[in-house]
Amino acid sequence: MAEASVARSRRSTELGLVVLSGVITASAYVLASLGKHSVMPARVVPFMLFVLGLVACGHVIVRLTAKGADPIFLPMAAFLHGLGFVMIARLNDRWAGLQATWSLIGLLAFAATLIVIERTGDLRRYQFTALGAGLVLLLLPLVPGLGFTSGGARIWVSIGPINFQPGEFAKILLAVFFAAYLAERRELIVQGHIRVLGVTLPELRHLAPILVAWAVSVVVMVFEKDLGSSLLFFTLFVVMLWVATERISFLVMGGGLFAAGAFVAYQMFSHVRTRVDIWLDPWAQETGRGYQPIQALYGLAHGGLTGTGLGMGSPDLIPAAHNDFIFAALGEEIGLIGVTAILAAYALLVGAGMRTALRAQRDFEKLLAVGLTTITAVQTFIIVGGVLRVVPLTGVTLPFMSYGGSSLVANYVLLAILIRISDSTARSLHEIPDSASASERFATWRLRRSARATGAST
Amino acid sequence: MNQRIRRLTVALSALFAILFVQLTTWQVVKQEELTANPNNMHALYSQFDKPRGTIVTADGQVIASSTKLPVDSNSKFDYQRTYPYGDLFANITGYYSWGYGRTQLERTQNDVLAGKTAQQQLEATGDLFTAGDVTGSVHVTIDSRIQAAAKKALGNKEGSVVVTDPRTGAVLAMYSNPAFDPNLLVSHDSNVVSETATALQNDPRKPLLANAYQERYMPGSTMKVVTTAVGFDTGFLTLERIFKDERTWTPPNTKKPIRNYGKKVCGGDMAEVFRRSCNIPFAQVAVEIGPDLMVNGANRFGFDERVPFDLPGAAASTFGGLAKDFSDSLALLAIHGFGQGEVQVTPLHMALIAGSVANGGRMMQPYVVQETRTSSGAAIKTTTPQAWKTTMAPTTAATLTELMKGVATNGTASCCIALRNGISVAVKTGTAQLNPEGQRQRSHAWIMGFAPAESPKLAISVFIKGVNDEVSASTGGRLAGPIAKQVLDASLPVMP
Repeated sequence: MAEASVARSRRSTELGLVVLSGVITASAYVLASLGKHSVMPARVVPFMLFVLGLVACGHVIVRLTAKGADPIFLPMAAFLHGLGFVMIARLNDRWAGLQATWSLIGLLAFAATLIVIERTGDLRRYQFTALGAGLVLLLLPLVPGLGFTSGGARIWVSIGPINFQPGEFAKILLAVFFAAYLAERRELIVQGHIRVLGVTLPELRHLAPILVAWAVSVVVMVFEKDLGSSLLFFTLFVVMLWVATERISFLVMGGGLFAAGAFVAYQMFSHVRTRVDIWLDPWAQETGRGYQPIQALYGLAHGGLTGTGLGMGSPDLIPAAHNDFIFAALGEEIGLIGVTAILAAYALLVGAGMRTALRAQRDFEKLLAVGLTTITAVQTFIIVGGVLRVVPLTGVTLPFMSYGGSSLVANYVLLAILIRISDSTARSLHEIPDSASASERFATWRLRRSARATGAST
Repeated sequence: MNQRIRRLTVALSALFAILFVQLTTWQVVKQEELTANPNNMHALYSQFDKPRGTIVTADGQVIASSTKLPVDSNSKFDYQRTYPYGDLFANITGYYSWGYGRTQLERTQNDVLAGKTAQQQLEATGDLFTAGDVTGSVHVTIDSRIQAAAKKALGNKEGSVVVTDPRTGAVLAMYSNPAFDPNLLVSHDSNVVSETATALQNDPRKPLLANAYQERYMPGSTMKVVTTAVGFDTGFLTLERIFKDERTWTPPNTKKPIRNYGKKVCGGDMAEVFRRSCNIPFAQVAVEIGPDLMVNGANRFGFDERVPFDLPGAAASTFGGLAKDFSDSLALLAIHGFGQGEVQVTPLHMALIAGSVANGGRMMQPYVVQETRTSSGAAIKTTTPQAWKTTMAPTTAATLTELMKGVATNGTASCCIALRNGISVAVKTGTAQLNPEGQRQRSHAWIMGFAPAESPKLAISVFIKGVNDEVSASTGGRLAGPIAKQVLDASLPVMP
């Protein structure tokens, strides 16, 4: 009785929040159209039904496959996704159509992930597959004929009519690998150590796979010129190592490696120098490379505290406003108050991820939750910080909000895995009954049948 | 591991705090500095990426509208404002320009056109289930046919034509030459805009000003309508009054004599001196009436007061002095009595003066905005005609009408004003002499009046600026008369 009510209360909280997200999205959509064209959007009622239908579908999927999960994940994603979509639609009708299609695919990927991965152990079993697949995906854009460069970074792959960024999926796969690898070997890594110049370091053989993965990903990112993703991967590895081993030396070592890498990259690569120069003084190249970040700041200032109102600013003056700079576009139109709500939503999402990591009963689940949450938080920081000139601008997408199919689908997969871990923990803690999953029931049924068949024959 | 996870959570929260602090820096702390940067075009652009309502004439012609540009157009904005009639309505609509401001109805009716009035916003939210435009429309009293007739009749002469409905004050036509094409000022090509603007600003004829109501000119003999009305109302003048035939008359306190137009001998009964437009009788009447009553009378006509008009920047006509100024110099009062000296009237006001005679002494407040409407057609604001001044007693108005009919049939305008189909018309001409005696002749040509004289539907004033010999050699009747006739002939058939 008590167990059932935990699940019920979590799911009704989630339902209330996703409906609220849907209503906010639809209202924002209407306001943006009124603001921009002074026109009520055509087919606004079908649009509202579509949005509410999507969030309701997401909720039903969670209810069916992970009823014990934390109720914060899905509503926050829906809220961010919805507002991002409204801004994309307000900037360009054509992108809106494509993004709507990707939204559907994202939801399908979400459902598929929750249905296919019934137990977190399913993921753990495939750690080396994940590593291999992750590395292949990372290297794919470098394959001649497949990969291509867009916006200065060679991170795209074109297969037939579909263009995508395999790196978005690689980060999830590598997080899975690291979580599994570290969960198995953390004791070994901590115990076996060597001392070099008075510093305690783990034995090389324990670290080798990690170092290889790290080196490959960083090198690839340098060749692909995707600084943001490079930084993201690096942070992910260091943070996971630190959490797994509880050794501060990894953080120190990571920091040192990062500083050295940054220095070398600055000396060696002109595109890195350019980024840093623009960061330090965009006004030195106001009509050149500094144009985009300056327009973003102008837009933010134009929005001010309360914003111009949706549809009533000029975010189209910011190049790539729908993509890397969507945060600036929103800052202009919904103001400090509005984008603070967006930052709060990310903080809540990250908070839910960290809560999941804290509650998780198995090391693998803990580390995977930490890894996936760190990806979301650090990626948000890298791009928002880049737009706000906290750090040099490096092009990564803003999770759930930026235009782009790969990113959206990958983030929904990531979200589904977090929800899976959260649900798994609720079962481990007996907050909800740990009933058999669909495939387990199927397996049982087959076993029984074959047992019956065998029994009948004997 | 949990302790590390907690620390990580704290670290990530710190990152978000940094973002928030930096966000506040840009959006609040440095907001003013960034907004003030002349390169920050965000505020400017957002105005021009929106649709805007139409301005429509009384006969249903759209004279200003916005069209959505195709997505692939090279323009920096999504919408292009257009004025389909070019310069014809430039002084009515004005322009809504990027980088060059906005004027006229585009300025005064901005909220309606942009859909910003409370009523429009409210209607939009109630409109949740249908797609619809919230921009409003402005419906003006101007009739495009009368306006076109005015432009055509005026031709290339500098000046203006104003036609009103004397019963309501509705302005049916108001055209000033020189005009300008507002389309050039709303171009999205900033070179076109700046070249046009520079050329217009440097043009000595001041095409950007609507000379029909933003400038004032010496009225000449058309002013005699005012002097006559004040004379009748104050009892100094009757129809029985006979004026001596005189060539010159020297008013008190001066040695400088007053002459009639063309230095002729002029005199006779009231009707005769009015239709022949002798100067001396009206100078004498003005002096008889005296400074106090004369200034008071002029003020009853709205002199020295801005005409309450719903287009911006209306000039005030002036009688040219206070009562005490004229007490010191009765000669000045005498000259002002027939519209010379410091008296100045706007062409719009002149049409109102004619209209007040037509309307039994009630001068209606002029207006061009008949109604503003929401996108669904509901009225936001409808103009109710209202009287501005009571200029004269109804009996005086009736007498003046007869005098003005005499001008048309048998006086200074008899050459030129007879209307088609024998419709009666009441007018007064004016030839305002600008040059001091002995210098090269320079004069404005005026005519003002109304038709049909018995049941007036139209009041008109035509003003031709005395910029060249051709204009200055002629008289109000000969020059402005035919223009008034042409406009009235074209307008009367379209009036209800």
